[in-house]
Amino acid sequence: MTYIQAISDALRLEMRRDQRVFVLGEDVGVYGGAFKVSLGFQEEFGPWRVIDTPLAETAIVGAATGAALMGMRPVAEMQFADFISCAWDHLVTVAAKQYFRVRTPIPIVVRLPSGGGFSGGPFHSQNPESSFAHIPGLKIACPATPHDAKGLLASAIEDPNPVLFFEHKHLYRRIKGEVPEDRYTVPFGYANVHRPGDDATIVTWGAMVHTATEAADELAKEGFEAEVLDLRTLMPWDKERVLEGVQRCSKVLVLHEDTRTGGFGAEIAATIAEEAFEHLDGPVMRLAAPDTPVPFSPTLEKAFIPQVADVVTALRELAAY
Amino acid sequence: MSTGTQTEVVMPQMGVSVSEGTVTKWIKQVGDSIARDEPLLEISTDKVDTEVPSPAEGVVTQIFVQEGETVEVGTVLATIGAAGSTAAPAAPAPAAPSAAPEAAVAAAAPATEAAEPVPAQAEAVAPPPAAAPTATVPPPPATPATPATAGNGRTFVSPVVARIAAEHGVDPTAVPGTGTGGRVTKKDILSFIESGASAAPSAAPEPTPAPEPAPAPVPAAPPAAVAPEPEPEPEPVAEAPTPPPAAQPPAAPPAAPAPAPAPPPAPVPVAATAQAGEVALGPGEELQPMTAMRRGVMEHMRRSVDTAAHVTSAIEVDFARVVALRAKLKPELAAQKVNLTYLAFIARASVDTILDYPFVNGELRGQSIVTRPHVNLGIAVALDDGKGLIVPNIRNAQDLNLTGTARAIQDLAERARTKKLLPDDVQGGTFTITNPGSFGTFHGTPIINQPQSAILGTYALVKRPWVIQDELGNDVIAIRPIMNLTLTYDHRLVDGAYAGMYLRDLRDRLESWDEAAY
Amino acid sequence: MAVREAEPVGSLQEVKEAGLDREDLLGIYRHMLITRGIEERGHILYKQGKIPGSFYTGRGNEAAAVGVATAMGPNDVGTPLHRDMGVHVTRGTEPWRIFAQYMGREDGPTRGRDGNVHMAVAELGLHAQVSHLPAMLPVAVGMALAFKIRGDSRVALGWFGDGSAARGDAHEAMNLAGVRQLPMVFVCDNNQWAYSTPTYLSYPVEHIADRAAAYGFEGVVVDGTDVLAVYREAKRAIEKAREGGGPTLLECVTLRMEGHAVHDDAFYVPKEMFEQWAAYDPIERYRTWLHDHADLTDEEEEQILSVVKRLLNDALDRADESPLPDPATLEHGVYASQEDLDTPHHK
Repeated sequence: MTYIQAISDALRLEMRRDQRVFVLGEDVGVYGGAFKVSLGFQEEFGPWRVIDTPLAETAIVGAATGAALMGMRPVAEMQFADFISCAWDHLVTVAAKQYFRVRTPIPIVVRLPSGGGFSGGPFHSQNPESSFAHIPGLKIACPATPHDAKGLLASAIEDPNPVLFFEHKHLYRRIKGEVPEDRYTVPFGYANVHRPGDDATIVTWGAMVHTATEAADELAKEGFEAEVLDLRTLMPWDKERVLEGVQRCSKVLVLHEDTRTGGFGAEIAATIAEEAFEHLDGPVMRLAAPDTPVPFSPTLEKAFIPQVADVVTALRELAAY
Repeated sequence: MSTGTQTEVVMPQMGVSVSEGTVTKWIKQVGDSIARDEPLLEISTDKVDTEVPSPAEGVVTQIFVQEGETVEVGTVLATIGAAGSTAAPAAPAPAAPSAAPEAAVAAAAPATEAAEPVPAQAEAVAPPPAAAPTATVPPPPATPATPATAGNGRTFVSPVVARIAAEHGVDPTAVPGTGTGGRVTKKDILSFIESGASAAPSAAPEPTPAPEPAPAPVPAAPPAAVAPEPEPEPEPVAEAPTPPPAAQPPAAPPAAPAPAPAPPPAPVPVAATAQAGEVALGPGEELQPMTAMRRGVMEHMRRSVDTAAHVTSAIEVDFARVVALRAKLKPELAAQKVNLTYLAFIARASVDTILDYPFVNGELRGQSIVTRPHVNLGIAVALDDGKGLIVPNIRNAQDLNLTGTARAIQDLAERARTKKLLPDDVQGGTFTITNPGSFGTFHGTPIINQPQSAILGTYALVKRPWVIQDELGNDVIAIRPIMNLTLTYDHRLVDGAYAGMYLRDLRDRLESWDEAAY
Repeated sequence: MAVREAEPVGSLQEVKEAGLDREDLLGIYRHMLITRGIEERGHILYKQGKIPGSFYTGRGNEAAAVGVATAMGPNDVGTPLHRDMGVHVTRGTEPWRIFAQYMGREDGPTRGRDGNVHMAVAELGLHAQVSHLPAMLPVAVGMALAFKIRGDSRVALGWFGDGSAARGDAHEAMNLAGVRQLPMVFVCDNNQWAYSTPTYLSYPVEHIADRAAAYGFEGVVVDGTDVLAVYREAKRAIEKAREGGGPTLLECVTLRMEGHAVHDDAFYVPKEMFEQWAAYDPIERYRTWLHDHADLTDEEEEQILSVVKRLLNDALDRADESPLPDPATLEHGVYASQEDLDTPHHK
């Protein structure tokens, strides 16, 4: 099934098995969600489990927190990940800190259609993951495959902490994969080797996993086998596996679609330099979008989002070093 | 905030951003009595003026800060003594901030890097080029071009190349480089080492020859390296790259001098191969990741077998008495949060027996035999998820009684599993106990933990039909819990009879355990 | 729906009709005394350096807090603020733990992780505020949403002040609550000053309660120093919500009798205002009412005062014995684990 079907599937399974799970957000009910993730849900679960809210992100996420405190398992949808900035205050101030301060867990999930590649412009294409990774108390998932999307959403709903679930919308209908019918979970903090290799390790997530794989396949023709390590979750992230890859390959490229400065790749790169210094046979390379808002026009957007050719160039540089 | 009978009065923080305050008026003077919460003085800050109520009842004994003085928040302003105290001589204390919130910087237990199992330690310990005793490194043989001067003349050595060079005693400048500007890459140095180019001309290229001096006792099984072997101490300090057999003529001084019992020189690396991506795979075959820990194990196993003359003797021990005693003592010790295991009994008894058989606890350093009165007992601990073995040791185990031994074992295992071991914990062991029997096996032949001379193996405790004497002295069959114990020893130092006597005494101690003595 | 201004409470009979007996009435008095007593002692502790950071009180708001809390049902929940210590006291949070909380000790409800009234006592249905007010309003709305989804006959209460009413969170919360007719009460502690900002610089209408109509529910203004009037109005609003009548905005008007926090001497508040409102001191008013309408005797009053005093002294001593938190535990508890979900408020 496709990536988006896997997400719907996971959500539907959870709502069927656990009465406490409910969905709230803009246009999720009657309309089935801007991307149709919850198409047919209101018919099945009724208007009080698939709630059309006013246009009010703080109220949506804040209400999710309140409902969670009362024993529900809300799954809030932001129509675009970009709109999470309207609820940033709530997430960072209330949701993230509540358990640490007062030991009342906040098991909420906020689903975030993220990423660009289709001329969405500055406000419909962002990957706003790094500022949240920086806030203690939040968890972040960013699946790249249908299999992981389904399993991670189930884990996210189960998790007693606030989870930001970044669904790369450009993968929604473009990526298909084998997905088990039953319910299963994918744990947080475990990376997946999307493509094996020993000559370099590419640490990445989201749509970039597929870009990296294409690039690695190119380089393989030149005798250079790069592994593509899909982190799958950013908070927590599988530091051990990343360091193991660095130890084995000694060359590493950190790749993400978010902008470069202060992107989560910086944290990974710094950790590698700190903890795997003596295994490096080349500089820790980073490839990311330039430090600009996401541009609208296709030529500009192509120059913004790392393309397969960009990754190939970076890999060749790494190989030659 | 009280010391003895004196209660301190401190400058309060009147607001989050306020850092100091001024005493504007002392309502009470030294020698005046005052009730709790009664106003004692007036202060002024950026934000507000207010009175400060007394924290205690009594008499004002000292005033340290005078009217008009400005001090930092937390400074002790005065002290209140119990009613009836005399005023202390007015010695103004320095304006040091008093207790205040003790919450200092988070203690941050030394959990992070300090206690990784061996490989990371190996990395951390391995001082790169600095320690490389290039003095003893023989110049590279023939062939290769002068690498580093190619192209733009870069001589940059990357961290991983430096580490590998140090571990194998290779001079990176001797290695042909294919990287940017002629740089030596990881691949370059690994294939250089693998091709044997780094070996000293006088040395045999491969370390497989059986140790020549092996006196042929051959009673027990040859040292087949089957049993899981405890991890060695961190040791890849750069050394002369000659192969290890200690019987070699002293051309390559095998033992490094003093500080800790330094290990013999690093051997020709075995681990280099598959890494370089040069392995040809047949159909259906696949490569598995080679971890640093695995490499370490490979190296140590090889070296140990090549160094020591491994012989194993075994003895069967009737554990009936120990079983009974353990059942009796377990709850008592559990109340002290100590888990009493069979291993604790065995450890205690084996350490005690060592005192009569010092060679079992000894070491061959070069041509010298070294013994010591202390036993730093290594306990092999398996890490979770098959991540490997580590052998932390209990220092001065001879000083511990049974309870102390059990507690020390528990603490070590816990710290090993939670990665809280310190480098000291895995260095300096003198004798090791390992448990190959945890899965039910009844016999094995562990590999000695270099540079020690013996290792005790424990196995499954099995109920067997056994011949014992009844009250009349007749043979009868009984069901007894029997454990096989093996001592694998270095026959260069420990002879068969010696080992046999050790085992006999150990058995006797276990079979006639004297509760009072332990 | 026009804004309704509440009538003061009259006789004991009226009170009985509202469901309070004499014991309850004396309980209310005791709760207000305890509340004030805690805060007065807090001042002293602060000046003795035992309370770190800053210190906030709700002096003058005792009746509003205790009145609303008394009207709450046992399973109702809420998010009281820093002027509402009376809510904690009435619902049963132990004074010694409140002192420990102020002093940042291990036995405070947040074990030193947060200060002031930023604490939750989930078993009593009270959840922890943050500083970014009125961030708790959307949360309270969410609590009510859960009740509505499940059909629980429980009510959620969200508190906010005259200052924080200006932020978007208030609008979003009330809007959502009104649209969905959720079972909740919005309680506005209007003490007429937001730090140094008077109400006429905070909102342009006469009453905050005027806004309720914009959200489709009733707004009520009540004299916040009259505990029985507050009780009556709160009870009405709470029961209305419980019966499916939707939200109410209850505005309790008082004067903040001290500075914004202990470091603020409120020089900007006209002296006359303090003088005028001092005459309405909620505890004094109620005490008089009890003497006049409930036959409170001097001996009874003495007894109550001495019980309260002893309670607070014991609480203080007990709190003082609680240790400061161990820095080694700092990094624990950033993330919850599954076991933590089996807590009372999650059932």
